[in-house]
Amino acid sequence: MEDKDKAITESTVRAPKSTTPSQVKAPENIGAIGATVKVTIDGHEVRVPLGTTILQAARTIGIKLPTLCHHEDLCISGVCRVCVVEVEGMRTLQASCAYPITQPITVHTHSRKVRQARRHVIDLLLSRHYGECYSCVRNNNCELQALAREYGVDFYRFGHVNKPTYGRDDSSYAIVRDMDKCILCRRCVRTCIDLQEVGVYEAVERGAKTRIGTFMDNPMAELICINCGQCINRCPTGALHANDPSDAIWAAIDDPTKHVVIQTAPAPRSAIGECFGLQPGTPLTFEMNTAMRYCGFDKVFDTNFSADLTIIEEGTELILRLYKALVKKEPAYLPQFTSCSPGWVKYIEHFYPEMLDYVSSAKSPQQMFGALIKTYYAEINNIDPADIVTVALMPCTAKKFECNRPEMNSSGFKDIDYGLTTRELAGMFKEAGIDLPNMPKSDFDDPFGTRTGSGVIFGATGGVMESAIRTVYELVTGEKVENLFEHARIIPVRGFEGIRYAELPITKVGPVPDILKHLVSDWEWLKGITLKVAVAHGTANAKKVLENIKAGGKLSECHFIEFMACPGGCLGGGGMPIPTNEEIRAARARAIYAEDEASEVRKSYENPAVIRLYKEFLVDGPCGHKSHNLLHTHYIPRGKKLV
Amino acid sequence: MPVIDRTQINEEIKALKAQYGQDRSALLPILQSFQEKYGYLPDIIMQETAHALGIHPVEVEGVASFYSFFRRKEPQGKYVLRLCKTISCDLAGKEKVARQLENELGIKFGETTKDKLFTLEYTNCLGMCDQGPALMVNDRLFAHVTPDKVPQIIADCRRGFIKSEFPKVVPSDVKKEGPILSHNLKAGDGLKSALNLSRSAVINLVRESGLKGRGGAGFPTAVKWQLAGAAQSDKKYVVCNADEGEPGTFKDRYLLYHHTDVMFDGMTIAAYAIGATQGFIYLRGEYLYMKKYLEETIEKRRAANLLGNNILGKEGFNFDIQIRLGAGAYVCGEETALIESLEGYRGEPRNRPPFPVDTGFQKHPTIVNNVETFIDAALICAKGAKWFNEHGTEKSSGTKLFSVSGDCERPGIYELPFGITIAQLLKEVGGENAKAVQIGGASGKCVARQDFDRTIAFEDISSGGSIITFGPDTDMLKVAINFMEFFVEESCGQCTPCRDGNPKLLEGLKLLERGRCSMTYLNELMRLGETIQLASKCGLGQSSPNAFLSILANFKSEILGRVPEKE
Repeated sequence: MEDKDKAITESTVRAPKSTTPSQVKAPENIGAIGATVKVTIDGHEVRVPLGTTILQAARTIGIKLPTLCHHEDLCISGVCRVCVVEVEGMRTLQASCAYPITQPITVHTHSRKVRQARRHVIDLLLSRHYGECYSCVRNNNCELQALAREYGVDFYRFGHVNKPTYGRDDSSYAIVRDMDKCILCRRCVRTCIDLQEVGVYEAVERGAKTRIGTFMDNPMAELICINCGQCINRCPTGALHANDPSDAIWAAIDDPTKHVVIQTAPAPRSAIGECFGLQPGTPLTFEMNTAMRYCGFDKVFDTNFSADLTIIEEGTELILRLYKALVKKEPAYLPQFTSCSPGWVKYIEHFYPEMLDYVSSAKSPQQMFGALIKTYYAEINNIDPADIVTVALMPCTAKKFECNRPEMNSSGFKDIDYGLTTRELAGMFKEAGIDLPNMPKSDFDDPFGTRTGSGVIFGATGGVMESAIRTVYELVTGEKVENLFEHARIIPVRGFEGIRYAELPITKVGPVPDILKHLVSDWEWLKGITLKVAVAHGTANAKKVLENIKAGGKLSECHFIEFMACPGGCLGGGGMPIPTNEEIRAARARAIYAEDEASEVRKSYENPAVIRLYKEFLVDGPCGHKSHNLLHTHYIPRGKKLV
Repeated sequence: MPVIDRTQINEEIKALKAQYGQDRSALLPILQSFQEKYGYLPDIIMQETAHALGIHPVEVEGVASFYSFFRRKEPQGKYVLRLCKTISCDLAGKEKVARQLENELGIKFGETTKDKLFTLEYTNCLGMCDQGPALMVNDRLFAHVTPDKVPQIIADCRRGFIKSEFPKVVPSDVKKEGPILSHNLKAGDGLKSALNLSRSAVINLVRESGLKGRGGAGFPTAVKWQLAGAAQSDKKYVVCNADEGEPGTFKDRYLLYHHTDVMFDGMTIAAYAIGATQGFIYLRGEYLYMKKYLEETIEKRRAANLLGNNILGKEGFNFDIQIRLGAGAYVCGEETALIESLEGYRGEPRNRPPFPVDTGFQKHPTIVNNVETFIDAALICAKGAKWFNEHGTEKSSGTKLFSVSGDCERPGIYELPFGITIAQLLKEVGGENAKAVQIGGASGKCVARQDFDRTIAFEDISSGGSIITFGPDTDMLKVAINFMEFFVEESCGQCTPCRDGNPKLLEGLKLLERGRCSMTYLNELMRLGETIQLASKCGLGQSSPNAFLSILANFKSEILGRVPEKE
C-alpha cells in the first residue's frame, strides 16, 4: 500500500481525540489471561479489560456515575469533575471518565467526599448558569437539570446570576448560541474540532474568565460554520440550539389564504418517537402523517420522492461525466461527489473551494422538492405558487441555511420556506396536544406519494450510494441487482466505518432504457469497467478523502463518492432528538433499513411518481433543459478566510 | 505601528516556521515574534498563522488569549510597564507605586497612553520578591521601586534607556551558601563523571542520593528517570522547568544565571540516562532578558562538544537543547500544562495517567525537572551520593534553596538542609517576630506561630523553596485575598472546582472584609475549599485553596466580625 493511502485505511473511523489524547490503548491480546484486571466498586468485584475506565467498569455492574463533559462520541476530557470517585490509596478524587484501570483498585462511588464534591460541582455550575428551566428549549431534556434533580439541589448554595452576561446570538439560520447557559464542558469544542474539523469554537481567555468563543467573537452567521448542528446534539444544556421556525409555520397554518405543505425526510420518522419516550429506532412514519395533518398542514409529502429524483438526476450526471471521460476522452470531473448534504456542501465551499467542480450540480432532495411543489404541483392543482408555503421536515440544521441560500429560487419563489427539524416538529406536536405514538396511521399525499426503499435509505450513511448502485447497475446491465447482492442489500457501503470503499464490476451491458436514450445510444463503452465508489460521513472523514484525492491516492480513482456531513449520515443529523450516540444511531439505521425491506418498490428509477414526472413535466428528461433549471444549482467558492 | 499586509505576514510566517518547526509546537514562538513586532496579534495574523500550521483560527485565538503576554484587540504601547502585584511586592508597598504610575502617565492599569508609548499592567510574580516592589519594562527589571523613582523610570523609557540610571539585570542576593551553591565545578565536570558510568549506574547513583524533585512535589528523581528510560520510543525528551512562577520564588532565576553550565550538565546527564536526544528549557516569559545569555551558553557548549553529536566522545550520544519561552501563565509550571504549552496548546493540564514519562511531549516519553533538580543531579554525579545525602533528613535528603521574602531583616536566597524547623529558618533570616510564614508560595501553607517547631521537609511541610514571612502587623485577610486573586486569574479554567470554586472563595473573603459573612456560609466555603483540593484536575487546582484554608484555620478570630471602614 502506498503511504498516501495509509491515513484512510489505518483507522477510517475518525477516533475523536481531545486537544490532547488521554486514552490508554487496549492491549492487543485482550482475551488472554492477564489482559483483564480486577476492580472492586462499592464492594462489588468485577473483571474488566485493561485500560477500561472506572466509568465504563461501573456501568457494567449497573452503577451510573453522573457525567457532563463526557460524551461517548468524543475524546476524554475530564474537566467537569462531576464524575469523581474515591480510589483507595489516592490522595485526591479521580475523574472516573478519565481514569484507565491498569491495576487492581478499590473504588468508592458515593462516599461523603464524593457526594460533597459532586454537589459542589453542580452548585458551582448552577451559580453561573443564567436562566430558569421553564423558559429553556432543553427543559426536561437537560443533563444539568437532571443532575440537579438527582443530587437534590433545592437552593442556590453559591448564589445565582440574575442577569445575562453574553446575550443570545441568533444571527445564524441554523444555530442559536446562548452562552449564558454554557457550563464549559467543551463538548462543542471537541465536536467541532475533532469530529467535524470545522473549528468554530474554542475555549478562550483563562481562569474565571474562561468562556467558549468564536473567532474574534464573530456572530455565528459570519463564521466558517457548516451549520451541521453536531454541537447542538452534544450540548448538555440549552446553550446551543437550532433556530426554530415553528412560530412562523403556525402563522402560515393559521392563515387561510396559505396552502401549507410539508415534506418529510426519511431520517426523522425513525427517531421522532424518542421525543415521546419511545426507544430509538421505533418508526412512526404513518402516525406522523396523521399528526401533521392534525396540526393543520394541507398536504404531507414524502421526500423519498425527490430522493429518487436525485438518484436519476445525479446518476445521469455521473453517466455523462463517465461518457465524457471514457468515450470522448475529455477531462471530466471524476469522482463525482454527492450534493445532498448541505453541511458537506458548505464544508467543501469553505475548505476545498478548488474542488467544487467535482460536486454534482443536482440540488438536494429538499430543494428539488420545493422547486417542484411551486411549479409542477402548483400547476396541476391550479394553486398560485405565491400562496404555497413549503415546509421541510429534516433531521438537519444545515437545511435551514440551505433553503435560505439566495440561489435557491428557481421556481420563481423561495423553493423551501422553512426547514423544520425533528425536534421542532415534536415540539409542535406537543403544543398541539398530540400523543404521537397513539395517532392513527395514514399514508402520504399524492401526487408524490409512492414511497420507495431507495429513498428511505438516504437517511443512513451509504444510503445514497446504495440507491445509486441499485439504479445505475440495473439501468446499465439490464439485470437485477439482486443477482449480485442478496435482497439488494449493498452491504459493502453500509455500516458506520468512517470511510468505506467498494468496487462493482460491469461485466455485461443491456439496452439503454428509454429515459436515457436522448443522452447515450449504447452502453458498450461501460463494458468491462469496474465502478469504484466510496462513502464518507462526518466532515473529518470527508477531509481525509479529499486529501487522499489531492495526493493522487486510491480514492482519486473512484467514480462516485457519497459525503455526509454528520457522523452516521442524516440519522445522526443536527436536528435529531438528543441525546445521540453510536447505539442510538445504529437503532435508527435498523429502522430505516427495515422500512426499505418492507417497501414494494426499492429502486429509484421504478418509482411511478418519478416516471410520471418525467412524462408529464420534465419532458426533456434527466439533466435536460427544464430539470437543469429547476433541479440543479451551482456553488460558491467561499474559502476559509474571514479577514 | 507597521502596516499589516497579508503577503508580508505569510512571508514572515514561512521564515518563522523554518526557524521553529513546521508543526503546531511552533505556534507560541511565532505568536511571540508577532507580538513583539506589531505590539498585538490582530485577527489577520491569527488567521494566517492558523492556516500555515493547519489548525483553525479560533484555536490560535484560544492560545493567544490564554497567555497574558499576548494582546488581541489593540496594540500595546512601546513600553509595557508590568508591576508585580503578588504578595511579597504587595507587602513591600506596590500599591503606592501603582498609584504613582497612574498619576505620572494619566492612565489606569490595563490602559495604554494616547501616544502609544506606555501600557500599564499588573503581572503576577516577577521573581524579585526579595527586592520588591518589582517592575518590568519590556525585558528590563527594576527592583526596590518606590513612588519617587517612578518619574525617573518613565523618563528613562522616553529616552530609550540611553544613559539609564538603573542597572539592567538586578543581582540576586545569596545570604547563605551550602554545598550546592559552593560547588566549584566547571562546565562539563558533572557530565564527564556521568559519562564514565553506564546509563543505569547514573540512575542508581541518583537513587542512592535520595534526590527528590525540587519543584515542590518531591517525586523521586531516579524513579522518574527510570520510568522514562524504560519506556520504548524512538524519541525521548528532557525538559527543564524554568517556569518559576510560584509567588515568592526567585532561586531559579539566580541559578539559571550563575550556575548555568551545571544546570545544562544536569539536563545532559538526564538525557544520557533516559536516552533522550532533544531537550527544552521552558523559560518563563518574565525571564526573557536571560534568553540571550542562555543561548550563548548553549552555543559555547556546542563548541566544546558538551552538546551536539557524540558528546565528549561518547559514541552515539547525541543531545541538543532549545529554549522555549512561556508567555505569562503560572499554570505552565505544572508539568503536563508545560508540555501542552510546548506543543502549542493552551497550557491546560492533562489527565494523569498517562504520565509524561510515558506519554509526554508529542506523545513521547518526557521528563520534566526543575532547574535546581538538574543542578543537584549534576553535582551528585560529580561528587557522589554521600556528599549529597549527608545533609537533610532520611526522606528528604540534601540541602534545599529557599527564596525568602516578606517581613524579615535579611530577605534573599538561602541554602539550608531539609529538616530545618521554621523557627530556625526564621532566626537565620531575621524574622523571629513573624506571626505567620507562608511556606511553598501561593499554593503552599500558611503556618502560624504555634507550628513554628515543625520542619521543612517532604514528610512534614513540603516546599518548592518559597518562604514569605508575615510580620506582626500583617492583615492576614488581605494576604488571603491576594492569594485568591492570584488563583482566580491563574487557574487554567478547564475544571469546574478550580475555575468556579476559587472565585467563590474570593467572594467570601470580600464578604469577610466587609464584615458580612455568616459562620454557616464560611463553613460551607471551607468545605468547598476541601472539594477544590480533592476534585480539581491538577496540582495547581488541588493546592489553590491551601492558603485560604490555612489562613482561616489559624486566624479566624482576626478575620471574623470585621467592622467595615466605610459602608
